[in-house]
Amino acid sequence: MHIVKQLMAIPGVIAAGEFAYRGDRFQYEGALTAEFARMASILCRSNTVNVNMQSEIFDSFAENCGYKPAQGWIMRGAQMSICNIGNYFAFIENRPELLNDVMTILRAKVGDIGDDLLVNLYARIGGDVKEALY
Amino acid sequence: MDLKQLMNLPGALAAFTYTDKGDLTDHVVREGSEITREVLDLLAHSCVANIAIATLEARGWEALTGQKGFEPLQGFSMIGLEWSVVLTGRCGVIMKNRDVNYEDAFNAIEACGAAQHMQGAA
Repeated sequence: MHIVKQLMAIPGVIAAGEFAYRGDRFQYEGALTAEFARMASILCRSNTVNVNMQSEIFDSFAENCGYKPAQGWIMRGAQMSICNIGNYFAFIENRPELLNDVMTILRAKVGDIGDDLLVNLYARIGGDVKEALY
Repeated sequence: MDLKQLMNLPGALAAFTYTDKGDLTDHVVREGSEITREVLDLLAHSCVANIAIATLEARGWEALTGQKGFEPLQGFSMIGLEWSVVLTGRCGVIMKNRDVNYEDAFNAIEACGAAQHMQGAA
C-alpha cells in the first residue's frame, strides 16, 4: 500500500502527502484544501532543507557524529504535530502513541535518506537532475 | 525534571540545557558516546533557531488557515541517521533512533523546560 494511504488509514492522521523539489509539486490526502496542502509542502520542504543544512554543519565539526544525513523532523504543537521523513509529511492529532506509530511507519516505509537531499527531492518529479541542478 | 532524569529515557546519549540565546549551560553525555561538548554547543544554537522558526510557522499557519492546534508549540525534533534530538525552549535530549520514544521524550523535555523557566524566573 502506498505510504500516504497507509498513513491516512490510521485514526488521528489529519492529512499526509509528499512533496518534491521546491515544495510546489506535491500530492496529498486528507483534510487540507489544495492551497493549504501547497503551503504545507513548502513549509515541510523549507524545514527539511534547514535541518539538512544544520546536519552538514554538525558533520564539519564532528565527522560521522551520527546526525548526517538528516532524515527528517517533527514539529510538536499543543494539539497537533507535523511529522516529516524525506519528502513525506503527515499532520496528526496529539493522541497517545500516534506520533510513535506514524514515525515508525515513515522510517520503515521511506527508508534511510541519502546524502544528496536536493537531488533526491528533484528526482521525484523526473527530468535530468544534474542538468537542472548543476 | 533534571538532566539525569532525561538520561533515563530509552536510548538517551546526551541531555543539555541552554539559554534563550543558545549558549550551553549544562550537559550530560553518556560514557562511550561520540557526542562532544562542541557538538552540543552548536546543537543548542540550532535548537533556539529551530524553535523560533517553528513558532513562526505555527503562528503563520494558524493565522492563514484558521486551523488551530499548533500553539503553544511544545517542541521540535531533528532526526538524524543514527540519533534524534528532541528539544524545547531551553533543553534537549539526544536519543538513539532505534530506542527513541518521541512522545515520552516530548513530555519529559516539556517538564525539563518548565523547570528551567522557573529557575530562570527565580
